[in-house]
Amino acid sequence: MYKWFLASRYLYTKLIALFGVAAVTLCVAMVLVVLSVMGGFLDTVRSRSRGLHSEIVLEGGTLQGFPYYGEFGEHIQAEYPDLVDVTTPAIYTYAIFRVPATTWTKPARVLGVRLNDYVKVNDFQKGLHYDRYYPGTTRLGLQGIPVAGVVEPGTDAGRLPDAGTFRLPPDLEAANERWRLEETDPEAIRGFDVSPFQRAPFPYVTPAILGERVYSVDYGPPRYEGPEHYGVIVGCDLLNQRRDDGDFNRFLARGGDIALTLMPLSRTGTATGEPPIRVPLRYVDDSRTGIYEIDSLCVYVDFDMLQHKLAMDPQALVAGGHTPSRANQLLIGLKDGVDINAARDLIGQEWLRFYGSLLPEIHDVDALAMRNAEVYTWEDLQRPFIQAVEKEKVLVTFLFSLISMVAIVLIGCIFYMIVEKKTRDIGILKSLGASGRGVAGLFIVYAGAVGLVGTVLGTGLGATVVWYINDIQDFLAYLNPQLRVWSPDVYSFDKIPNVVKLPDALWIASLAVLSSIVGSLIPAWIAGRVWPVSALRYE
Amino acid sequence: MSKPLLRARNLHKSYMMGREPLRVLKGASFDAEEGEFVVITGSSGSGKSTLLHVLGALDVPDRGTVEFDGRSLFDLADVARRRYRSHDVGFVFQFYHLLPECNVLENVLMARLVACSFWGWRQVRRQARHEAEELLERLGLSERLRHRPNELSGGERQRVAIARALINHPALLLADEPTGNLDTEVGRDILRLLTELNVAGQTIVMVTHDAKVAAHAHRYVRLSSGVIRKVESPADGRVSTGSAAKETIP
Ligand SMILES: Nc1ncnc2c1ncn2[C@@H]1O[C@H](COP(=O)(O)OP(=O)(O)OP(=O)(O)O)[C@@H](O)[C@H]1O
Ligand SMILES: [Mg+2]
Repeated sequence: MYKWFLASRYLYTKLIALFGVAAVTLCVAMVLVVLSVMGGFLDTVRSRSRGLHSEIVLEGGTLQGFPYYGEFGEHIQAEYPDLVDVTTPAIYTYAIFRVPATTWTKPARVLGVRLNDYVKVNDFQKGLHYDRYYPGTTRLGLQGIPVAGVVEPGTDAGRLPDAGTFRLPPDLEAANERWRLEETDPEAIRGFDVSPFQRAPFPYVTPAILGERVYSVDYGPPRYEGPEHYGVIVGCDLLNQRRDDGDFNRFLARGGDIALTLMPLSRTGTATGEPPIRVPLRYVDDSRTGIYEIDSLCVYVDFDMLQHKLAMDPQALVAGGHTPSRANQLLIGLKDGVDINAARDLIGQEWLRFYGSLLPEIHDVDALAMRNAEVYTWEDLQRPFIQAVEKEKVLVTFLFSLISMVAIVLIGCIFYMIVEKKTRDIGILKSLGASGRGVAGLFIVYAGAVGLVGTVLGTGLGATVVWYINDIQDFLAYLNPQLRVWSPDVYSFDKIPNVVKLPDALWIASLAVLSSIVGSLIPAWIAGRVWPVSALRYE
Repeated sequence: MSKPLLRARNLHKSYMMGREPLRVLKGASFDAEEGEFVVITGSSGSGKSTLLHVLGALDVPDRGTVEFDGRSLFDLADVARRRYRSHDVGFVFQFYHLLPECNVLENVLMARLVACSFWGWRQVRRQARHEAEELLERLGLSERLRHRPNELSGGERQRVAIARALINHPALLLADEPTGNLDTEVGRDILRLLTELNVAGQTIVMVTHDAKVAAHAHRYVRLSSGVIRKVESPADGRVSTGSAAKETIP
């Protein structure tokens, strides 16, 4: 009993214990912060990676693609209605991205997708900017430039733009109204900063008939202008400039001109010999997957348009007949609750069977392309990326735990000093009949208590740091911009993950208490061996 | 009639001083009977504390035996020896040796706590507390229960130490110069207290180098050259010789 009593008494009467508590506090806080941030980082990478693909991807492995993707999609949808939810093809290629208004050029990875199905198999829609405020208006088909104007020309003529009477074309206005009604977060509505002037109206200046003004200005009605082009969704970091607050400065108005220069390939993968083709497009939205490597590179266009431009649609053969159309991927969305790995194996086997059944009739080139195609899960595709982060997490946690070993040594030193100072007390206790084991136990309990208090404080401190880590970074960056370590270019995300997970906290806490106890073992053992008389002899 | 409570025979103890052994006890033999108040005197450095520590099982002799109630202390298992320290003897030190972090009451109760398990203590807590308070009141410390040792005078500290030694009702009280650090006035108070305890039936063995203090005892022996030399009874002035000689209390 005296162990518990004295340990608690020592805990709050001995100043030296505070050093031990402080050491444990700092180590616990440090490891908790590192583990939480790295764990959050990993989770973000995983969830973002998950949102990038469909659950299952049939990947052609080549730029020229593989045939019979559509037939296979229909086949497995008919064959496994409980398993397969949606299938949708995709084409990827590389192009030169150009903004005619600025003569900017950049390399781009072009994805041809069927937007309506594509958003069903992944989280693509969540990352669209205009689609949030004008739901349903982001389309990849042919479209003109939306231009704001005054609703009733004549009555509003002469008002300045900030008079607030400018309106977008009715479909956009209605979509925005819908968003306002559905948005539950009043902050978002108040913070709505998508200018209604997605394309600033060009005023027609006419001489005024009445009034003091020399000119009257007629903006015309809201309308769609310009030639109709196919839409393009652009990765947010490709076109825009990221601001410190995480949003973007958008230079190009919605509906602005973008041009892609494409290089069609034949079905064997050779260049067709035609000159590269230039495709004019309308900028309809920007996409943010949250992974910088993707958002600074990818643009998204209509599947059928791209297939046609790249000559991957059926081509007439000299000998008669047509080549089958080709795609690079078949994205397969699964029904909820399906085991993803089992589904991959099943669909993989089905693909081989499907290929075998077609083999007698198809051309060698097509057969080869099909044989190269393989079925993956999203995790298979992202594994190198996720694994890198996983390894990083383990490594960093290991390094910091190693540093925390210092706390064990520190506890050892502190307790050695305490035991030295308490030799007389140990002698007294032994003269009262305490056993060596009991006295050792006293110091172990004491160390455990120090560890426990330090752990509680450290968990509190660490959790607070994690919760406010973005504010801390903002403050540091305010002191010195060089201190902004979490840059979106480096880490793909603009916010440092700030969630503490209970299991992590519990693990660290128990390890910390255990470490404190381990640190005190040698001093406790020494204390247990003190011979009563040698401790008592002198004052 | 009284019977021998403690019986030490032929105790040898030496310390290594560098290469040379310093022989402190060279065959000391000593008896204490139930209800007796024995004083051991001797010059400083003669080994009185060493002897008392051996008697209290706080130290082991190189040779020789100590029997308490017929059992040989140094043949006992460790557990039994701990039980001897906690239940059968109470030790009072020259330097009080109180726990500085604990108050008066806690210091006294510590002797009980040491022998109790976590759950055992919950059952006896109230009783033990009551006993401790009563004992401290008897020693005139009822006003000081919540004081820390550093807030007490030397005499008060020594009385706390005595209370701690007595709380488990030991058969034998060993006191090592309990007045050594106190001025004469206060020292006399402590001695009076010990005498009262003895009159109430407590067996006491006290060490001192002050021959005047010895006057309070029934009997006093002298430790010199590592052996118990003489046994005297200051009360009636009779002097006898021989280490095994005994004196009865009138
Ligand atoms: N741990 C030790 N190591 C070496 N020598 C020791 C040790 N303990 C005691 N001694 C020596 O043993 C001798 C006896 O010591 P002890 O304390 O028993 O004497 P004492 O009679 O109690 O003296 P005092 O009256 O001053 O208290 C002394 O000379 C002392 O120096
Ligand atoms: Mg002494």
